[in-house]
Amino acid sequence: MEIDVRKEGQAVIISLTGRMDAVSAPQFDRTVEDLLAQGDRRIIIDFVALEYISSAGLQSILALAKRLEPVDGDVILCNLGGPVKEVFDISGFSIIFPIFDSLADAKASG
Amino acid sequence: MKTITMSFFQIILPANINHLSDIIEDLSRWMEQQGVMRDRIVRVQLAVEEALVNVIRYAYQGKEGEVELQGEIADDQRLVIKILDNGTPFDVCTVPHPDISCGIRDRKIGGLGIYLIHKMVDELCYRREGDRNVLTMFIRWSNGNLPRSRQDAHAGA
Repeated sequence: MEIDVRKEGQAVIISLTGRMDAVSAPQFDRTVEDLLAQGDRRIIIDFVALEYISSAGLQSILALAKRLEPVDGDVILCNLGGPVKEVFDISGFSIIFPIFDSLADAKASG
Repeated sequence: MKTITMSFFQIILPANINHLSDIIEDLSRWMEQQGVMRDRIVRVQLAVEEALVNVIRYAYQGKEGEVELQGEIADDQRLVIKILDNGTPFDVCTVPHPDISCGIRDRKIGGLGIYLIHKMVDELCYRREGDRNVLTMFIRWSNGNLPRSRQDAHAGA
């Protein structure tokens, strides 16, 4: 999995490419750990190029949201499609996260 | 150890997270050769990853051991995937499903993997055979039509 991180104003945009599985999810955990340590509180995750996600990936995203909730932070998701969207729907994650159809909409939210 | 034939796939490797990608890539290549539809391949990848992670973390509890993965085209419609290990008895079919309706604060971090296995396959069976856990997944892999490779073989016979 490739992880691209860029900051735009108060938000951090994390773009994921490839497969987020039990092998690669810890890489995501380390990335967000650094961002939280730097004080970032508004995190947008762009799934446009993510082909696959397993429970390990879902757990990483949930763990991030749990860390941000008590500090009034946000995890905002966008561009979910194909098998990734299916896994979000099946696991109920589509209901508990704010999800937008495009990065532009995600950036304009909140 | 790896055995791959026209309709049978078998691989035996140390139960280690570092082998996960290789196992899934090999299995996926075999499924492609069998003519399994792409969306079914992704479902199998997810079910197999979750099951293997379970073997590594819970059946072996971090200890060393081997895991065997078998794939077989049972008939024109069903693909059978078996995962065998020598770890602690662990029946995934008895694990309760997580509550998927609660919000971020109350949502448990774990417990989703086995739930996803159930959702990805058509039928799931566990049994203990001697000192082995045997998890068998049945997946409908086609709409009942023979894949092209097999139609050709059939026509040439």
